[in-house]
Amino acid sequence: MAAEPRPTPADDPAPPPDQRGARSPGVTLEARGLRATYGSMVALEDLSLTARAGEVLGLLGPNGAGKTTAIRVLTTLVRPSAGTFAVAGVPHTRPAEIRRRVGVLPESAGYPESQTATEFLRYFARLYGRSRAAAAAAAEDLLAEVGLAGRASSPIAHFSRGMRQRLGIARALICEPSVVFLDEPTLGLDPAGQAQVLRMVERVARERDVTVVLSTHLLAEVEDVCSRVAILNRGRVVADGTVAEVTRRAAAPRRGRFRVPSDLRRRALAVLARADGMDDAKPAEGRPDWITVTLDEVPAIATAPRVRIDGAARALAEAGIPVLAFELDGARLSDAFLAMTAER
Amino acid sequence: MATVAAPSRSTAARDTGVVAGQELRDLWLAGRGLPLMVAFSLLLSVITYLGATNRSLNFLERRETVNLTVQVAVAVGALLAMVVAGDAISGERERGTLESLLLAPVSRRGLAAGKLLAALSLWLAALVVAGPYLWFLARGVGAFTDAMGAAALAGTLVAVTFTALGIVISSLARSNRLSLSVSLFTLLALYTPTQLPAGAKQGWAAELLLRVNPVTAAEHYIGKVVINQHGWTQDAAWLLSPLVGAVALTFAAVVVAPRFMSLRGSALG
Repeated sequence: MAAEPRPTPADDPAPPPDQRGARSPGVTLEARGLRATYGSMVALEDLSLTARAGEVLGLLGPNGAGKTTAIRVLTTLVRPSAGTFAVAGVPHTRPAEIRRRVGVLPESAGYPESQTATEFLRYFARLYGRSRAAAAAAAEDLLAEVGLAGRASSPIAHFSRGMRQRLGIARALICEPSVVFLDEPTLGLDPAGQAQVLRMVERVARERDVTVVLSTHLLAEVEDVCSRVAILNRGRVVADGTVAEVTRRAAAPRRGRFRVPSDLRRRALAVLARADGMDDAKPAEGRPDWITVTLDEVPAIATAPRVRIDGAARALAEAGIPVLAFELDGARLSDAFLAMTAER
Repeated sequence: MATVAAPSRSTAARDTGVVAGQELRDLWLAGRGLPLMVAFSLLLSVITYLGATNRSLNFLERRETVNLTVQVAVAVGALLAMVVAGDAISGERERGTLESLLLAPVSRRGLAAGKLLAALSLWLAALVVAGPYLWFLARGVGAFTDAMGAAALAGTLVAVTFTALGIVISSLARSNRLSLSVSLFTLLALYTPTQLPAGAKQGWAAELLLRVNPVTAAEHYIGKVVINQHGWTQDAAWLLSPLVGAVALTFAAVVVAPRFMSLRGSALG
């Protein structure tokens, strides 16, 4: 059986002052070259990330990509075998202090069924060092914030999956963290529950000015709420940037359509078939005056498709065929995801 | 930027108190504590009834009946505390609640110690519940103080030994089932010599084994105090192995095992 990376010690001395807050302004999470292994299996390889306050960073990847391991490393639950990271300026060599600055909703979070929501939050507030009165007040405030004030005294056993996730988010906020890690928070929720949790994620990042790291394999979630995205595959970051950047870089449009006079369509097909950068040109189904073109695959040249489409239009014009209309397929994050996580 | 909640104190002692408080609430207000004590009370009721009325048992000296009840109370009380301890960490692991606890800035020693104390509360309750039964049986022979004292002294050492053992196994086991199985097997293995006939307990080697085994040593001590009316210090040497077991396993549970406390368990399984 694979050995688990050694857990970090629970206690550590306070950091020297010169190690506090030594980071770029606004940067709350900074990781460089992180590596984690389970026995001989490499779960994370050369992970580098940066995130700022108020930002929702989407950690995207297929199952087994290393998202959960990345979160466990960044929350000090698993010790990296290489690399460094800092949370709110606290280096990874100070795990106990980092734990005071992060809030986490684990993927497979369980809840003590017999406790009420208030007891649950109060307990964790106490574990974070709050007095009884402060813990009770924090629990009350957070339950109101996540919309569970009316169920404060209900046993968690009676909570739906969505309510449990909201309670988990409240628990993650109990320490007023700088960075909140949410591992698949919408897993198993119905669409209404998903939307509710995602709106909450947005609100938390905006109103509390914290960094939210949202791990998911649901692309729509990332497009919906994340300001930046990092795509993981087999333990490596294969792309990161804003959603638009990643989409443009990885999944530039490869298909387009030209509308030409129907009597010239056969000649236009011949011209386009000869044009540079065209992989394929064929009549569009059900649209008698349209031609669908597929561009050659030239990865990593973000501007090439547009240039090649321009070249095709120019070839049509030079052949005396008027272009009546033109459409270029929009690129989506799902295209980028599939392109970057495909088996090679 | 959100401010960081500054802890008022972050000592293991404080962590222990917070964890123990919550565990005690979970155990006694909403958990298994009360049902287990009701069951324990029913068991003692049956034993007491038989001891007081059954003809075969009536051939026992009254002090022997009291001793039998003390032995049962100690064995079952320790068993209950150990079962709760055996579930303490591996149960959290299986229910998916351990990750959140490990992510909190609570010391793992505090976590283990808090759970140990909460589990030991079952033994304390068992001792209290046994009191009226022992009083009833000890009427007329003046054995009540001896019985309660011996149970409190030797029984507590046995209970601490097994409860701490449960915490150690629970910290290391990869599954709750494995943790409980190993804990129960160990308890039964240590209790087995108590069922051997008197002839098998003769000789220096047998005595050595009886002295080394904390269960048989405690049983011997209790018997001497309750049946033979020895003074509490007369056979104190027999408490050495229960004392060593309690101290060593408590150290292992609170200091050593927490180092290996992880999401998947470390060594067992």
